[in-house]
This record gives sequence, structure tokens and C-alpha cells, in this order.
Amino acid sequence: MARRLMLALFSALFVLYVAGPVLWLLSSSLQMESEITAVPPNWLPPHPGMHNFVAIFSAGDSAAYTNRGIAGFLPSGAANLLPSLYNSLQVGLWVAALNLLVSLTAAYAIAVIDFKGRRATLYTVLATRVIPDIALVVPLFLVIRNLGLINSIGALVVTYLAVTVPFTIFILISYFEGIPRDLYRASRIDGCGHWGALRHVYLPLSLPALVAALMFAFLTSWNEFLFALVLTQSAAAQTLPIIIAGFVMDFTTSFSFVNAAGVIAILPPVLLAVIFQRYIVSGLTAGAVKG
Amino acid sequence: MRLRLSYDDRSAAILVLPVLAVLLVVAAYPILYSFWVSLHDIVLTRPLRRPFVWFENYERMLGDARFHTAVLRTTLYTVVTVTVTTVLAVGVALFLNESFRGNRLLNTLLLLPWATPSIVNGLMWKWIYDPTYGLMNALLVKLGLIDSYRAWLGDPDLTLLLISNAAIWKQMPLAALLLLVTMKAIPDDLYRAAKVDGATVFQRFVHVTLPALRPGLMLVLVYETMISIRHFDLFLIMTQGGPGDASYTLSWLIYVETFRSLRFGTGAALSYLLAMLTFLLSWLFIRFLGERNS
Repeated sequence: MARRLMLALFSALFVLYVAGPVLWLLSSSLQMESEITAVPPNWLPPHPGMHNFVAIFSAGDSAAYTNRGIAGFLPSGAANLLPSLYNSLQVGLWVAALNLLVSLTAAYAIAVIDFKGRRATLYTVLATRVIPDIALVVPLFLVIRNLGLINSIGALVVTYLAVTVPFTIFILISYFEGIPRDLYRASRIDGCGHWGALRHVYLPLSLPALVAALMFAFLTSWNEFLFALVLTQSAAAQTLPIIIAGFVMDFTTSFSFVNAAGVIAILPPVLLAVIFQRYIVSGLTAGAVKG
Repeated sequence: MRLRLSYDDRSAAILVLPVLAVLLVVAAYPILYSFWVSLHDIVLTRPLRRPFVWFENYERMLGDARFHTAVLRTTLYTVVTVTVTTVLAVGVALFLNESFRGNRLLNTLLLLPWATPSIVNGLMWKWIYDPTYGLMNALLVKLGLIDSYRAWLGDPDLTLLLISNAAIWKQMPLAALLLLVTMKAIPDDLYRAAKVDGATVFQRFVHVTLPALRPGLMLVLVYETMISIRHFDLFLIMTQGGPGDASYTLSWLIYVETFRSLRFGTGAALSYLLAMLTFLLSWLFIRFLGERNS
């Protein structure tokens, strides 16, 4: 009995701590500006409504913005929100697909083939993630500028590819190493080359790891901020975090609007995390037990 | 002598080539180039004169008062963030390791902070800390813990800890998951044996759980340190180094030096100092925690 009571208490604390802040954000996003600036605050929206979301999706139409209960003023970046949402999606999908494609072959080579320079390749790949991002920002900016990619989706895709590939390779290698070696030998005896072994043995058997890799690449791209801040300059390529950060630092933006934008940014990653929970957890913890 | 490559070598070369090409252009080259930049006196407002100055940028920064402040702030922030994250994660992992109804649901919920983009995390907590409309003031007044509303992030003694709190909220889940996996791998026999020997719950935790958790703990400590020490997003969103220099960390100093003062040379030198600090700390962790293990 005491145990059940303790567990219930801990569960309540856990839910409060983990979900509380997000619920407050959600509650704020459903309130009008006049309700959100009440003192003391409304814990729950007195008249829950989607006004803020409507304002966002009408892409900066000042009428929709005013409808939310404050005088007709439109924050300068409001029109960029919808395009940035589209940019974020596009970058995320490209990175996820390309990341999987190049990591898959590299991970196969490193995990399965005993080639000259195998260790060196592995360490090179992992070592690129040891330098802090902020140290890379300036030289990367110069490289991207020389490639003529500044302020383009392509710049972000290439950059995030480099950021996500080491981790994907790490996950895939630890997964591939768990696939019985006999299957590989059998496929080689049956006349498969490395390409055939990858296609017919490793690819079909490592679906969970592939899903995890796709998720990580997408989530990392969706959430990344620093590189996007430096490599993009206009609505043509700016991603959601950049636009939201702009709102937060702009004094004239209304709180309810910012909170609604935050909810929109949080939604896709959270949904993906919940749907693919099993794969994500096994992917995240790959190698943790081996130590 | 002719170099002859076997079928294996040739296949491997083709298979790893795309990854190496990407990493070479967008990671390896910038890393080396950044080092080259750090040896030059490059200021963007003076584009034509960029003399090679050896390690002068490093010397200048090591003697700069802002650098000392930044190291102090970064250390405090990192130590607090990593310690609290780890302790909290051990607690959560122990809790989720119990079997009870609703356990799976809580496991799912744990992914919520992990999936939250850091920018949203920043704006969410900034909103909670808001001096007039924030949740924190309302809650603390209601509980009778404070008499009047406060500007939380404006208090230099609290700023760093409050930012740290936001970071902990986001980072704890991954740490807890890693520890939970390690915990699940501990054989039940060990606990049964300890019970037979009359060990209390606390003794079982200290003598069975903790030693078995060491590899997981080390992973968590090294990983959390490496990412906390370079945190940037939260600082930009929440305080921009302020109030005064209360949240002036190394990442923030690098950002200001590079993008506000446009001194690329010293910015790059600072980046390398940060990278070295990261290496040093990870090495210390592995060294001291690893040794007690064996």
C-alpha cells in the first residue's frame, strides 16, 4: 500500500515536471492577448480559441492579427512564419533522406568489410562531432559562401548532413554488428557482392535502426538553430527556429502570438517521437549497455 | 611497386566515399581552416589587412578579463547543469525501472522535453519566468513563498541557475533513458543475493545498482558535459549574456566577438580554447571515474 502511494505520488510529480511547462505554453497559446496579460495569470484559457493560430496561418494578414483583441499592429516577421515552416519541413525531409542514403553504405563498409583504413575512417567520422558547433560557424560560413549557397535551403541541407551523419553511422554500425555474420557469409557464397549483401541481408534486417536514423536526422534539422542563424538571411531559406527567435527578441511581438508559434514548432517533433517511440529509444540507447 | 586493391578495399572505398566527401567539405576543412584563421588578426571592419600573428590571439584572450568571467560562468553553468541532470536522471530511471500501471505512458511522456526544440524551450521558460505575466511568480505567491512579483531573469545571482533549469528540463530525459537501459541489464540475482545478505534498500542501491550503473553514468556525464559547455541557443533567447555579465559564457563570448565585434581571429582562437576545455573535462571524467571502476 505504501509502495502504491509512493508510486502515485512520484507519477504525479513526474507528469507535473515533464508536461507542466508545455501545458502552460499550450494554455497560453489558446488565449487572447488580453487574457494572457491578466495578473494573476489564467491557468486555463477562459475562452479557448484558435485566434493565434489563425493569425499565423493567414500569413501576416493584419486583420487576422487584430482579431485577436489587440490594436492593429503586425510584428515585422509575422509574414515569414508560414514560409519558414515550409522551409523547415523541406530541409528536414531532404536531410533525413540523404543522411540515410550516405550513412547506410558507409556504416555497412565500416561494420562488415575489413578494409584498409577502416579504423581511421570510423575515427575521422566520429571526430568531426567533437568540435563545438560555434567553432565551425565562421569557417563554414566562408565555405558555404564560396560554394555560392548562402541563404539557400541547400546550405542547410549540406550542413545538417555533416552534423547528423556521424550519429547515424554510429547507430547503424552497432545495429549491423548485431546481425549474425553467417547470414553475410551465406549471401556471399550465393554469389552476392557487397552491394547484394547490403541490399538483401542488411537492409531488410535493420528496419528499426533505419527508422531511428530517419527520425534523428529530421528532428535535428527541425530543431537546429545556430547554423541556420548564420547561414540564412531572408525568408527564402530561414527555418522556423530563426523566425521564432526573432519574435522572442522583438519587444513589439505579442506573447500569445509567440506562444502559438512555439506550439507549432513543438508539434511535429513531439508527434514523431510518440509515434516512433520504440525505435527512437532503442536508437538513442544503442551502445549504452556495451559501454 | 603497384598498389593493388582487393575487391573488399575497392568496394569499401566506393561505399564510404560520399560520407567522407560531405564531411571533408563541411566539417574537416572548416575545422582546419578555423585553426588557420585563429592564427591571424582578422577583423572584418578592416578587410585588407589580416596579418599572421602566431598565437597572439590566444595570448590576448587568455589575458582578457571577459575570458576569465566567461570561463567562470561556463564552469558554474556546466557543473550545475550536469550534476542536477544526472542526479535527477538517476532518480527518474530508478522510478521508471519499477513496474506499475501507467509506466509505459510515463516513458512516452519522457520524450516530450527531449523532442522540444531548444528555441521553444528557451521561449517557454522565459515566458514562465516573465516578471509580470509569468507562471513562476503567480505560483510562488500563491504558495506563499514570496510576497511580491520578481524579475527572475533580471537577478544576476539567479540568471545562470534559471537558464540551467531550462537546460536540465530538456536534457534529463535522454540521460534517464540511457541509465534506464543500463539498469535493466543488471541481473536480478544480484539484488536477490543482496537481499539474502540482509541489505537494506539503500545498501542495495549503493552496492549493487551504482557500481553496475558506472558505464552508463560515465556516458551520461561525458555527453552532458560536452553539450552543456557549448550551450548557446538558450543564452541568446533568454538573456544575451546579461544582466550585466551574469550569463556571459564562453559560447556567448565567441558569438559576441565573432558576430558583433567581427573579430574572426580572436573568435576562432576562443573556439579552439573551448574545444580544448571540452577535451580536458571529458578526459578528466574518463580518467577519474574510469579508474575507480577497475
